[in-house]
Amino acid sequence: MLGSYLQKVAAQQGYFSQMPRYYGAQIRGGGSAVKLGLDAERLSLPKDNPDILVCFNWEKYFEFELELPLGADTVVLQESDSSRENILLGEYFRVDFSKISQEVTGSSRNKNMVALGLLMGILAISNDGGGKADYQGLRMSKHHLLALEAGLDLFGQLSFPDLRLSPAEDRADKVVLHGNAVIARAAISAGCRAFFGYPITPASEIMEEMQQGLSQRGGVFLQAEDEISSAALALGASLTGVQPMSSTSGPGFDLMTESMVLASAAEIPMVIVDVQRCGPSTGIPSKTEQSDLNHAIYGGHGDASRVVIAPYDIEGCYRLVMESFDIAQYFQTPVILLSDQWLGQTLVATEYEFLTKDYPIRERKRPTGRDLGDYHRYQLTDDFISPMADVGSEGLAYRTTGLTHDESGEPAFDFKTHQWLHEKTWQKLRPLRKRDDLAVVFGKEGSNKGIIAWGSSAQVVLETVKDLGLQDEVKVCVPELIHPLPERIERFLKSTERLLVVEMNYTGQLHRYLRSQSELPEQTYTYTRPGGRPFSMKELAEPIAEITR
Amino acid sequence: MTKAAVYRTRLRPIWCPGCGNFALLDALTRRVLPALGIPSHKAFIVSGIGCSSRIPGYVDTYGFNSIHGRAVIIAQGAKLAKPELTVLAIGGDGDFFSIGAGHLPHAVRRNIDITCIMINNFVYALTKGQISPTAPHLERGEGQFLSWESYPPVDPMLDMVSYSASTGASFIGQGIATDVPHLSWLIEQGIKHKGFSFIAVLTPCINFTPPYLFNALREKASYLREGEVIKLQEAAPEDSWIHDPSDIRLALKLAQVPLLENPLLGVFFRGEEKG
Repeated sequence: MLGSYLQKVAAQQGYFSQMPRYYGAQIRGGGSAVKLGLDAERLSLPKDNPDILVCFNWEKYFEFELELPLGADTVVLQESDSSRENILLGEYFRVDFSKISQEVTGSSRNKNMVALGLLMGILAISNDGGGKADYQGLRMSKHHLLALEAGLDLFGQLSFPDLRLSPAEDRADKVVLHGNAVIARAAISAGCRAFFGYPITPASEIMEEMQQGLSQRGGVFLQAEDEISSAALALGASLTGVQPMSSTSGPGFDLMTESMVLASAAEIPMVIVDVQRCGPSTGIPSKTEQSDLNHAIYGGHGDASRVVIAPYDIEGCYRLVMESFDIAQYFQTPVILLSDQWLGQTLVATEYEFLTKDYPIRERKRPTGRDLGDYHRYQLTDDFISPMADVGSEGLAYRTTGLTHDESGEPAFDFKTHQWLHEKTWQKLRPLRKRDDLAVVFGKEGSNKGIIAWGSSAQVVLETVKDLGLQDEVKVCVPELIHPLPERIERFLKSTERLLVVEMNYTGQLHRYLRSQSELPEQTYTYTRPGGRPFSMKELAEPIAEITR
Repeated sequence: MTKAAVYRTRLRPIWCPGCGNFALLDALTRRVLPALGIPSHKAFIVSGIGCSSRIPGYVDTYGFNSIHGRAVIIAQGAKLAKPELTVLAIGGDGDFFSIGAGHLPHAVRRNIDITCIMINNFVYALTKGQISPTAPHLERGEGQFLSWESYPPVDPMLDMVSYSASTGASFIGQGIATDVPHLSWLIEQGIKHKGFSFIAVLTPCINFTPPYLFNALREKASYLREGEVIKLQEAAPEDSWIHDPSDIRLALKLAQVPLLENPLLGVFFRGEEKG
């Protein structure tokens, strides 16, 4: 709560920020931590080591030490009744957070608001630079405000180092939201009017946002009995002509596989969002990882074609959901959008404009009047995409099936039809290889040193390259469309002599996939490890510096 | 005006001659759809995988031969998205009561207006005779259950009517493939009922269950008629039951009547419809 309030207050003053959230398996209470990185100029990542650490409980701190490592200069504000004697490197202050809260509100529960007031004082985040912030819209209770004021007063009484923030360059309000909320908003904007889900960490917020969004718009929302059902419900809805979506995380994605494969075989548009977490199996549900790529690309039996897309930042969470719906509708295919816990749950304060952009969503190709009376659902066309009638359309009743089928949708069990069906479902996706706009390249195209990274890890790679001042030395490619692989990525790979692949999984799933798609330079290096903690810039500095040597 | 021939496609069924699935096909294409005047494009038949699940291919409506066990789910998705459709979920006992059994109580509690028709052939027939959850528990050596000869079923059968009643389905009926007019009437009732309707169709597989099973069911079957005394083999005259399909307590009692000894045909229960 402390982090959220501080982020919101700062956002009102125009500061950009990102705030990843760290929590464990507790149902209620327990340890949790956030890391808030404020920036006056641009959307950046929080630094590895915080400038200020507020700690109410050291025992809990050590559960998250890897996420919040203390630096030599970290100023620590710790609860004064903390049992642990100081073991810290930097400056520290004992503050009576609980005691002050007790005094002014009659309960120690508002200690985080005391800390908020103090931090606002230290950072000089306020409307007038004089210590009073605008609390409008923050919905603070009376007790909250009392505690906050007491915290602000405290700032005047103690002598803290000068950590005042420079004013935000653009003071306009920043919007605060996380990737999961953005994905839901984008789906609604894309015209999704049917959502089916099942609760799972760290994807549940998408379902909750969709429930709210669709209830206001008269759409269809159903919390299914399992993920087998949420995907199958989406199939049924899609056949009637609506644009359906379902969201989940790894274990649920496993269960959706049979419907995904049927959607591929029977060419039914659907969008599945997988907010990846640590696997295999239950793994660490609350922590990020990028280990579902294999499943997204290859999961399921048979040669089932599909499209795999992965955003790497909050803007992409919006734009690529639009792309996913467009591609699913136009190509009549399942699209898997791979997000991750970091993207999904990190609260971001940024300019809102990206949420208002219009992206054209192409309609499904539907039968025309000429097809009446002689309609073939899987009629072969030049682009391998056949007109798809909405179930319920007059004069176009057709039967479809997961059985190998011919142009009319009738079951077939001969080699020729089977071969034809594979050609059809795979060839139709080929134009996607021309989508060079879905492969972002940073740095000098001419450089022969390249890094490739995907998903939220790409943010750390880009930030580290910047931090090391290597923007002119090395180029970075971030594939957003991963399968089919855009030709631009293949060109990127072929243009490098030294290549580094960075991803957060044990086996190097993207690296292996790229090897299967293109030649890689002889000097190809990987930096891969499983999740459990986010990449730090310090961690990536070495492998990145290495390839530029 | 819709005519019987309108509802058949040109595809020839893969079923064995004499299979009860023909009865359902007949019921749907010659009686139910024409009688209710449902135009081809307004009906959507979703099936799972198995012998009976081939039926969408033979009925000229919208159809989807989908995934084993998932017909009832896909059907709900379609109905939610397009309520004006008449949606039927058709499958076998393996579909609905083994692999897809977990979906039924949820379909029941949501009470979405779809009609679920379970063709109970007491066996996995498309895969050539394995034991299904509705396969009767028999003493060793009893009957000629082809592949069951050496390894007869050891687990008790799952009674689908009993299951539906206990989960509170809003319409429960049972028909038999040898009485197409009654089966058609039953399906019409199910379709007209605004809510989730579950209809079981008794039709032991003619290949993989012993002939006496079908014969016994047909001979012992009795019809449930509203306001009339229910014929029970075991019951003494003094505790005779008068059939009242609106009485869930009676439906629960009827569900306890052993299927093989006293097969009952008709509407077991018809609850309140969705507003």
